[in-house]
Amino acid sequence: MGFAGSALLLLLVWGGVKVPWERKMTESQRKNIYGLPGPTAVALREKVGQGLALATLGGFRGLAANALMLEAHVAWEDQQWVRVRSALEFATLLQPRVVVFWDMASWHLAWNAAVSAEQYSGESNETRRRMEARRWVEAGRDLLERGTKAVPEKSLLFQRLGDLYWQRMGDYTSAARCYREALTKGDAPPYLERFVGYALDKAGDKKGALDYFRELRAKMGAVPDPLRKPEVVDREIRRLEKEIQSPGQMEKTR
Amino acid sequence: MIGGIRRVLAVAGNTFLEAVRQKVFAVLFLFGLVMVGGANYFTEFSYQEQFKFLKDLGYASIGLTGLLIGLLGAAQLIPGEIERRTILTALCRPLRRWEFIWGKYLGLLFLLFVMVGIMSAAVWGVLHWKEGQLIASEGGDPAVAGLIRAEARDPRMLQAVLLVWVKLAVVAALAVFFSTIATSTTFVVAMTLMVYLIGHLQSVAREQWLESGEASRWLVKSFLVLVSLLIPDFNLYNLIDEIVAGNAVHWKATLEVTGYSVVYVFILLGAATLAFEGRDI
Amino acid sequence: MTPAVRTQGLRKEFALGWFRGRLLAVEGLDMEVRKGEVFGLLGPNGSGKSTAMKMILGLLRPTGGRAEVCGYRAGTISARRQIGFLPENPYFPNFLSGIELVRYYGRLSGMGGRKLETRIAELMELVRLGGEAGKRPLRTYSKGMLQRAGLAGALVGDPEVLMLDEPTAGVDPAGSREIRDLILELKERGKTVIFSSHLLEQVEDVADRVIVLHRGKKLREGRLEDLLSKKNEWQIRMQGLDERGVQLLGESAPRERLEDYFLRSLPEESRK
Repeated sequence: MGFAGSALLLLLVWGGVKVPWERKMTESQRKNIYGLPGPTAVALREKVGQGLALATLGGFRGLAANALMLEAHVAWEDQQWVRVRSALEFATLLQPRVVVFWDMASWHLAWNAAVSAEQYSGESNETRRRMEARRWVEAGRDLLERGTKAVPEKSLLFQRLGDLYWQRMGDYTSAARCYREALTKGDAPPYLERFVGYALDKAGDKKGALDYFRELRAKMGAVPDPLRKPEVVDREIRRLEKEIQSPGQMEKTR
Repeated sequence: MIGGIRRVLAVAGNTFLEAVRQKVFAVLFLFGLVMVGGANYFTEFSYQEQFKFLKDLGYASIGLTGLLIGLLGAAQLIPGEIERRTILTALCRPLRRWEFIWGKYLGLLFLLFVMVGIMSAAVWGVLHWKEGQLIASEGGDPAVAGLIRAEARDPRMLQAVLLVWVKLAVVAALAVFFSTIATSTTFVVAMTLMVYLIGHLQSVAREQWLESGEASRWLVKSFLVLVSLLIPDFNLYNLIDEIVAGNAVHWKATLEVTGYSVVYVFILLGAATLAFEGRDI
Repeated sequence: MTPAVRTQGLRKEFALGWFRGRLLAVEGLDMEVRKGEVFGLLGPNGSGKSTAMKMILGLLRPTGGRAEVCGYRAGTISARRQIGFLPENPYFPNFLSGIELVRYYGRLSGMGGRKLETRIAELMELVRLGGEAGKRPLRTYSKGMLQRAGLAGALVGDPEVLMLDEPTAGVDPAGSREIRDLILELKERGKTVIFSSHLLEQVEDVADRVIVLHRGKKLREGRLEDLLSKKNEWQIRMQGLDERGVQLLGESAPRERLEDYFLRSLPEESRK
């Protein structure tokens, strides 16, 4: 065997060693990053949507995704919502792990596009305008749902989803559920813990809200962190107690 | 042994000196312009996005510049020296062929190190400047200012820089390997670039081979096996994207990828030495 | 005494690539170069001179036969320590200056420190590139200067044997005169010099012995004097010659022009 043959042999033998190593590293990276165990890579790739072509972008995927975000921005300035949407969908497909992309994308769809549809002068029928707006809001919600699955370890997207249910759909129960989920993530801002109670209250579940605030106050302990604003929680508890005792007062402001 | 080290260092020093005198570093000015331009371009975005854009731009430019330099540098290595016949006057000396290869590679690696270092410092500078600008414009709230500062001074960037460099080290070793079997510069550049691109798909081939239950046709299967065995998995370096996205990446993962790269470089240079040993100059 | 260079049955075939067969570049070359001699490898382009030299240097692996340098097998580190080489039309890393070039080659030979610096200064003087000339970048050098810088680079490791491939190719007459003088000076210092050339008239006054190669095979070997003497011709004795006449007949035998000799040596079919 010549020198070139030995070189090839060396590479092949190393190949036999490296493949299991690469596999192990890939798995542990996925586990740490996506929180998904085991060799589910093929299935995962379909789920996350990284097809073959996307992988070839290699080290430059970030740049491509950024370009798409820019494109979305330009399209937004032109009020071209379909273009905005496709650019955002593609950007989040390329880099599903970037929280700000999902955040920005859902804001464009559920707020900007929806408001623009509501006010669209080319459509005189108000019901149709509302339906159109609703579709944009739902598109934003679907996007955020996907985002929470792609970055399940961070609170921000759950919080945003809660905001969307609250502000754009009037679905306070779902909002409360999302805020609760966000609070399990550890990086949630301290004010968010009160939002679960507010949302339950808005949803009409005074009892649930009161129980929640009481439980929250109990968890703060004797010397609460001032950032968690125990006085606000106390005030809410007093208000809810009063409202539950005299149902006539219920519609007074919080 | 000391003579050997001295010879390796002589080759390495000469390779580096050549790059310096051929004004390779001029590329860096272009890079600087891109960075500064980039920093002023995305101002209508949120600060998180601005930082992400800047970091992506920074790492991608470092990666691209390094790729070009690694490729062209290594391509010059043997085919270029044979074309210019400068290799004859080097290899007829009491210089072992592995010493020549290692010297060339180390010179290239040092060049990449210096360039990645300078460019990272530039990225850091631009981020720092951006930090000041953003805090002035929207950081009235100390909490927001803190968040901006955290984005700009994220210590994980060090991990990203390390990963960029070791990825380039593997690419350069690949190019060195190809240059020991190649007869033309074009061949080296084309082959290395091809392996670089396929390397980002290698994990797909590997999983298809190892995990697809259905029996593929043997032709397809042997193709998948060859790709898996012979081509490095460049997707392992996608940790960089995670870091830019602001997600947690353990040092352990970074160091494991670094270790993988180091072993890979040794294997590639070993194969390069073997191939070069039998080659007529 | 061990010869400076010896080859036995040296043979080299090049594979030309798939389905294109093989090229026989050197076939069964036997030669012996004694220490301290100036030795010429002659032959037209493509006759195998460079290939033979590269095998002696260890840059090419022989397909058959063997080559030795000062008793060491060609290509080994010990053998390469004994040789300095100046390739045909050398290109040097042109971002270096003359001095840097010699320093680089010195380091490649494992030298360093003050010893190397002293050696560099000495060599730059020898090849007449001392002073400012040595500090200029190589790309500003003339062909002859490059050749001399290369020579200094070849000499830096203080080799026993110096191999020069077509040292005067493309150099103007004055430049090639300088190189010739340098070869003679090296000979005086006891070095063995092996050089190849296809320009025959340049060889005549330097080489002690030559071999003539054609299509990879050795055609002739010997002292130039012997090869060029027309031994079978008559000599006429004369009396009453004037001084010029004496001078004309001073040599023992009339000499042939090397060029004619060479052409006469070629096999029948290649003379046309």
